[in-house]
Amino acid sequence: MNRAMTKVFIIATVLFVALIVNLTWIMVVRAQWFQERPENKRAIAKEMKIKRGDILGFDGSVMAGSRRRSGYYHRTYPQGTLAPQLLGYDSVRYGRSGVESELNADLTGQSTDLGVQSWVDRLLGRRPKGADVKLTIVPAVQKAAQQALQGQKGAIVALDPTTGALIASASAPSYDPADVEDQWSRLSTDTGAPLLNRPTQGLYAPGSSFKVVTAAVGLGLGKVTPDTEFVDTGTYVVFGGKVTNYGGAVYGPNDFTTALTYSINTTFAKLGNQIGRKRLVAGMQEFGFYETPPLPLPAGEVLPSGRYGKKGLLAPGAFMDPLDVAWAAVGQERLLATPLQMALVAGSVANGGRIMKPYYLEEIVTATGGVVRRAKPEQWLVAMKPQTASELSIMMQRVVNAGTGTAAALEGIQVAGKTGTAEKGDGSNLAWFIAFAPADDPQIAVAVVIEDSQSTGGEVAAPLAAAVIKSALAQPALP
Amino acid sequence: MSRRNLELAFLVLAGAVSTMAYVSVYAGRFREINSVSIVYGLVFVGIFLLLHVLMRVLLPQADPFLLPITALLAAIGLTEIFRIRPSLALTQGQWLLVGAGLFILTVLLVRDHMKLDRYRYLIGAVGLALLVVTIVLGTTINGAKLWIQAFGFSIQPSEFAKLAIVIFLAGYLDDKKVLLSVPTRHVLGVPLPAAKYFGPLLVMWIFSLAMLVFMKDFGMALLFMSIFVALMYMATARIVYVVAGFGLFAAAAAIAVAVVPHVQDRFSVWLDPWPYAATTGYQLLQSLFTLADGGIVGAGFGRGFLLYTNRQPVVPDLQTDFIFTAIANEMGLIGAAGVILVYLLFVWRGFRIAVYAPDGFSKLLAAGLATAFALQTFIIIGGVTRLIPLTGITLPFVSYGGSSITANLMLVALLLMVSNRSNIIRGGSDLERRRLAERG
Repeated sequence: MNRAMTKVFIIATVLFVALIVNLTWIMVVRAQWFQERPENKRAIAKEMKIKRGDILGFDGSVMAGSRRRSGYYHRTYPQGTLAPQLLGYDSVRYGRSGVESELNADLTGQSTDLGVQSWVDRLLGRRPKGADVKLTIVPAVQKAAQQALQGQKGAIVALDPTTGALIASASAPSYDPADVEDQWSRLSTDTGAPLLNRPTQGLYAPGSSFKVVTAAVGLGLGKVTPDTEFVDTGTYVVFGGKVTNYGGAVYGPNDFTTALTYSINTTFAKLGNQIGRKRLVAGMQEFGFYETPPLPLPAGEVLPSGRYGKKGLLAPGAFMDPLDVAWAAVGQERLLATPLQMALVAGSVANGGRIMKPYYLEEIVTATGGVVRRAKPEQWLVAMKPQTASELSIMMQRVVNAGTGTAAALEGIQVAGKTGTAEKGDGSNLAWFIAFAPADDPQIAVAVVIEDSQSTGGEVAAPLAAAVIKSALAQPALP
Repeated sequence: MSRRNLELAFLVLAGAVSTMAYVSVYAGRFREINSVSIVYGLVFVGIFLLLHVLMRVLLPQADPFLLPITALLAAIGLTEIFRIRPSLALTQGQWLLVGAGLFILTVLLVRDHMKLDRYRYLIGAVGLALLVVTIVLGTTINGAKLWIQAFGFSIQPSEFAKLAIVIFLAGYLDDKKVLLSVPTRHVLGVPLPAAKYFGPLLVMWIFSLAMLVFMKDFGMALLFMSIFVALMYMATARIVYVVAGFGLFAAAAAIAVAVVPHVQDRFSVWLDPWPYAATTGYQLLQSLFTLADGGIVGAGFGRGFLLYTNRQPVVPDLQTDFIFTAIANEMGLIGAAGVILVYLLFVWRGFRIAVYAPDGFSKLLAAGLATAFALQTFIIIGGVTRLIPLTGITLPFVSYGGSSITANLMLVALLLMVSNRSNIIRGGSDLERRRLAERG
């Protein structure tokens, strides 16, 4: 009996040793692996004990602050919810998005960029203090943009074409990031997609606003000049199909400038086939299509523009027949673009053909007041020659002065722009307007898109662009 | 040093460790903790001093380790419960008081555990009745039907049934061990005893299956089956019972996995918790994350990250089934391994008592209780660390829960009685021998 008991005790000992071995495996060997699993929200919750840095607007005002409540810091939004889709939410349960996620290491004071200071703190056992993050977003302009979108679905992006700095980034419908935990099930299933950052994640048919790209490629290749003559019969028949004008209009003889001014589809469709598929796509790539714009946001929060198929972005070399090319040249077919991409298109014309890398981070200031990182504007692409840019600028000014975009005209400020009205199958339109101003010394480039509209880009989107431009140019300082 | 003086020294040591743990919690969380709690700490000390005095009078030669270990584990449990939710610690303290009362009653009423052997069928019937009552009248909590609501309390009768079944089996198997160990025929070359002695094994197997299906709890069924198999083996030294027992249990488990959704969930989460991270696997994964966060030394009592901003624990049921996770998080691998070794020390003393006991019934009783204690500890710690499928079972003395702490204090009382008796027979004073004889 005693021998059997000893054996049972040995088995019990072996089982207990197995417990300790398994614990060592979990708590030491695999500990790091467990910490890094996306399902593990403990790190986020622990970071809520750290005084999270503020997110400041370009004017230095607080867009997202931090307040202590029962031992944990929570986000406050003293100016109401400004650009919540860009700034993102900060939730124990649902994680982080947008700037909150991208700059988390700085906001929680754990970034190595913050240098010696936080190592000293660590040695002394002090909890890190988050660094403040100053954005290029100008709260007054942001408010104007959000105000303009009130009650509609759509997006407005405004950036400085000479630096690439984002001035405003509005997305509607919107949400309150302070309520994300309580409202999650509604927010994540709402058909209006309030969590979607439309400026960088919304993919829309660009419609006639894309004609700026087609025109730049045509002018750059010497296929057309602003004075080249065309004749419009209301229909362009090609490859067994046809391209018609918006509303069935017939314009007769027109030069190329007039074609852009009144957005004549047939002329641009013909130009598209003169350019040809390969050179049109190559031209688009010079504008940044088929590439994810280098705006530093978490993966999936910035989408590339280009031709999309059922399974996502098509390769640049994907086949197009001449009818496809004709429709693509007028911004339809399978073409999809983000508002950010279209703002960059307008910005390239404003900036002599050069596209700057878009950014939103002006500087990072540590809790002790030292600046650890400051924005350094960098060129991203060259979309066209300076000569082409200045020709296109004049043509786009005509759009606002005498064409489809007169609703964007401002007193004392020369606006250059292009309207777009992409017809959706269900009878509603996507109303676009892309613009920059002042035309002789551009300080702001804007893209506006309104979903589910019953009218045109010139009627619906252009006035909103004008409101944002007016607000921006009235500011004491822009990035 | 006499056994009782040794016990007192260990109790003082356990008290010192507990005080440090308590001070650490208090220092870490004094903003949320009421200083009245110090009074409750003193009550705790009083309870164990009272038990110690009782031991000096009634069980002078009993094992000196068990009571200090019990005090240490109970103190760790109370401190951790206090840290997770102070109000629950007060309730648990009251249960400890009830448990101490039952401990004293057990010692006073039973006096000599050999008497229990006379009532073994009655005790066995009570044990089975407790289980049947649970199956019939039980309420389901967290998917398992292990509780009975009575007088405003939730009682878990299986904790007490466990003791009754061990007492019954120790007596029954001690009687029948010769018959069970003599093979009467051979099947495929394997010697087997007469079929009628296999009867109890089959009854027990059917009972385990019933527990799995009706209580929907894998842990309790495994515990009862293992206690039975271990006692059969220790009584007969025949490995065939172990093989047959676990073979039958594996079959029962397979049936339960197929038939009972709750058991099925637990099983698939054990195999791969990641696809169920937001649903049935949430609790286990949070437990693993909390463990991984503890590291080698942990943040210290009261300093780990165990509560969300709204004071909800990071793992659901942290103060009951997952109390070990909380301890491991705050005390790190070293503390967690230390706690496991303290349990092993308890188990070792239990088996030592069994080995030194002079008669078969005492041996089987002590070994059965030690096995039950070891397995219960293993099943719940293994469950929360994903070594085995998770089941809702308590960690003896540490988990929040009245039935668990009272039943386990009675278990300690029984072990101490066995130990006292054998130590006196092996070398007590004449006076002690005479008193022992009078009790019988």
